[in-house]
Amino acid sequence: MSLVSRLYRKVVDTGLLPKILAALRLLSVVCALVGVGWMVSVPLEGRYARTYVSENALMPSQAYSYFRETEWNLLRGYRTQIETLVDSNATIVAKNEAVASWLREFGVKTAIYRDEERGDTLYGVLHASRGDGTEAMLLTVPWKNADGFDNISGVSLGIALTRFFSRWPVWSKNIIVVFPENPEGALRSWVEAYHSSLDLTGGSIEAAIVLDYPGVNDYFDHVEVNYEGLNGELPNLDLVNIAVSIAEHEGMKVSLHGVPCDKIAENNFWSRLLVLALGIKNGALAGLRKVNGNEAFSGWRIQSVTLRAHGTTGVHDVTTFGRIPEAMFRSINNLLEKFHQSFFFYILLGPRYFVSISSYLPSAVILSVSFAIASLDTVINNQYKTLPLSSKYNLLALLIWAATLFVSFAIAQLSLKHDSPQTLLLTTFLIPLGPFIVKRAFTIADPLSYRLKTIAYLYFSLVLTSLLMVNFPLAFGMSIIAFPMIFVSKSTRTKNVFLLLLSNPFIAIWLICNWFEPDLQGPAVFSRLIYAWKHLNCWTWFVICLGWLPTWLLLALSTFDTHQDQRPKPPAKTA
Amino acid sequence: MWAREKWVLFACVVTRLLVSLLFPSLQQQLDKSVEFSTPFTSYRSLREGVYMLNNGFQPYNGGVVHQAPLLVAMMSFIESDALVALLYALLDAVVAYQLTCIAQCFAASVDIPIWLPSLLYSFNPLVLLSCVSRSSVIFTNLCISTAVLSALQGEIVVASIAIATAGYMSLYPMLLLIPLLSLFDGKSAKTKAVICSSLTAVSLLALSNVICYRSWDFLEATYGALVRFDKLFPNLGLWWYFFIEMFEAFLPFFKAVFNVVVLSFVGPITLRFYKQPFYAFVLSLGWIVITKPYPTLGDAGFFLSFIPFFKPLYGYLRYSVLSCLLLLHAVLLSPIFYHLWVGLGSGNSNFFYAITLVYALALASTVVDLCWAMLRMDYDQGKPNYTLKITQI
Repeated sequence: MSLVSRLYRKVVDTGLLPKILAALRLLSVVCALVGVGWMVSVPLEGRYARTYVSENALMPSQAYSYFRETEWNLLRGYRTQIETLVDSNATIVAKNEAVASWLREFGVKTAIYRDEERGDTLYGVLHASRGDGTEAMLLTVPWKNADGFDNISGVSLGIALTRFFSRWPVWSKNIIVVFPENPEGALRSWVEAYHSSLDLTGGSIEAAIVLDYPGVNDYFDHVEVNYEGLNGELPNLDLVNIAVSIAEHEGMKVSLHGVPCDKIAENNFWSRLLVLALGIKNGALAGLRKVNGNEAFSGWRIQSVTLRAHGTTGVHDVTTFGRIPEAMFRSINNLLEKFHQSFFFYILLGPRYFVSISSYLPSAVILSVSFAIASLDTVINNQYKTLPLSSKYNLLALLIWAATLFVSFAIAQLSLKHDSPQTLLLTTFLIPLGPFIVKRAFTIADPLSYRLKTIAYLYFSLVLTSLLMVNFPLAFGMSIIAFPMIFVSKSTRTKNVFLLLLSNPFIAIWLICNWFEPDLQGPAVFSRLIYAWKHLNCWTWFVICLGWLPTWLLLALSTFDTHQDQRPKPPAKTA
Repeated sequence: MWAREKWVLFACVVTRLLVSLLFPSLQQQLDKSVEFSTPFTSYRSLREGVYMLNNGFQPYNGGVVHQAPLLVAMMSFIESDALVALLYALLDAVVAYQLTCIAQCFAASVDIPIWLPSLLYSFNPLVLLSCVSRSSVIFTNLCISTAVLSALQGEIVVASIAIATAGYMSLYPMLLLIPLLSLFDGKSAKTKAVICSSLTAVSLLALSNVICYRSWDFLEATYGALVRFDKLFPNLGLWWYFFIEMFEAFLPFFKAVFNVVVLSFVGPITLRFYKQPFYAFVLSLGWIVITKPYPTLGDAGFFLSFIPFFKPLYGYLRYSVLSCLLLLHAVLLSPIFYHLWVGLGSGNSNFFYAITLVYALALASTVVDLCWAMLRMDYDQGKPNYTLKITQI
């Protein structure tokens, strides 16, 4: 306590506090820079760690894997059959019937889950010989892959693996094999149904592996592991670890986020930074960009990854690819309890490198704090500092904030009904131009303008803080893209228009997606946002509409011309 | 003259009814949230008690009901759901009205609009949602505000009956009798208050015995379980995490310690601020809200509604911004961290525990700051001198 009091005295003596208070605006910008700098410094040597398998029971690649030459002809047989089915343009019903009959031959209980809107799903349960049937592992093979190609090798691999698993007595968890029509809506719909309405079930799903091997090639080049889930969820790092470790043990190269393997192998600062940046981008846009399949399991306490085979030439054949799910299932089968607790918050810098939450979270916290400081700045550093708490400007600003929330909610709901990105972009384009058009015809009181900003920044800071732990990539991305909002001031109109246009949620997202995301060109991102909300339960649309848009509207309103208050009061009536 | 105050009370009732009407499922959701509902205040368990009582069972046999028997008996008279919603809204309006009356008592010394405290109470989201969740803290809060108002108006009997009823409902408010006594002048008045509240408590307990089919089981279920912290449920308080982690041998000792902590500060606060008994009462209330075993946001909302009366001290507050931000973050993050722990499974109990610590810190910093401001006012002998800087040693 004496240390604190000494510090306090020193601060009072040197008059540090008033100086800090006067420089709050600067401090907020410094905070933001520190936040970004922190994130950029994460790939530096010594700031990150090598991954390790935290749960000892997993023991990846400790058992010899047997999915080899003996299965080769079976796999090719299934592949030929499926190729014929696909080439003859068989309907999904016919394809599912055919596969279901093969699965039943080796003792798998099958059922078909129908969803008219989002697509059918065939699934089968292989009951564990040594388990009590309360837990399950999931092998998922969509008929179409993320790019819309026919997942022919993947499906045949799924069937061959199931047949191979059915002959083994080692399983202590049920194995469920799932063939959804596509990896997004159909699979999500099936997962929802599994937890609510399906008759044939196999216990709580511990982990899910999605296989993606399009075409009929015998050979492939490398494996890509996709892990980011919806709404900022990630699978337990141990699942990614065993996938990477098994793939590398079998001699395959692993890539993340589409970064070429030799780039990853360089393992220098820039390659790690690239993986980090792509990880944040893909995490923030999860559900909007192409959906690999592992996203469907978010929110159900199911750890899931997608394994994707890349390339048509290479030294690894299709059974090598099959050995990854085989060995992963052997590992997961060993689990006695849950996956380890502390391994849910991480960012990968490479297949074998990661940073834990304590190393990266401060950056987003600092960014959020910078908005809080900006809010404080608009209270303290102007002549309205002494306004009482219950002054009408404060109350009015609160009411306007409530109104913007309501308007934003209405916009979000309306867009669900009538999706028209052009109107949305045009309207948000016009709002910042308002002060130019109406000029002095519409003015707001000067103190109100400051209070609107106060509430806007504070609200945004609170939104970011609440989002931090739940969806870090989105919180981080939002705080950086929306940062120009901090510079909105009453001095220059043109600058304000520019800043507001740059930080508008819709315009900013549209720009970012057109710039960085080849799948989301043009206004596609808006329809994807709405699709993701409706069919995948991805909240990004509402986070943007309810978290970001009200702040922006408040700031846009605060840029209108102001008048000094104290209009002459009407003379008091005298009796 | 009273037009504005009436509008506030009207708005208080209407908003509560409107929220219940517009979001019919909100009540159940809030009743399941750890922030607004505990085993000792939840509406679900109250309904369970009503059902058992109506059907001739002992309400406390199932180990689910922990509310006071008379409360259960009273609720059993109200059948319709709409009437219950109306009752809760009206009770909240009564509390708001009493805050207006208290503001009137302080009209001379505290320079705030008379309607402000009740407006802040009515539209405080914590209070509003707590009312919608139909948590039974509202009954306790009503008794406490009745007690303090009647004490300020000099009605010794009503005040003592009210505080005894509050104590009967949830035990710990009984401690508020200590600061309440200093609101009465003279030894005879104080004796009268003590006798009066003891008599009330005894007769309420006797009446409860009759209601519970001549059984004393309710004592164990309501007060015993509360003091012994029998229901290890996560809540916003400081107790649950300790008792989850602790070895069994130490439990009784530390449960006693935690109870002593609740008890220990009420007396000293009353003694130190005996010249400002109302403020001592509010600070004691704040202390109990922080340290009681099963706190909810409804308790905190009620305590915070008294902050406007500290208006003359605002100049002395040192970290009001910090306290506000802490409270805002704690209230926002606690459901999120609970969801990460219990819903998604990616977090663990430490996440929620950390946020309850932030919440306790927010309330504690408010109380400490107010204490500091009171002491400074004392030091300056009632004439604010903001230029003088003083540091604690």
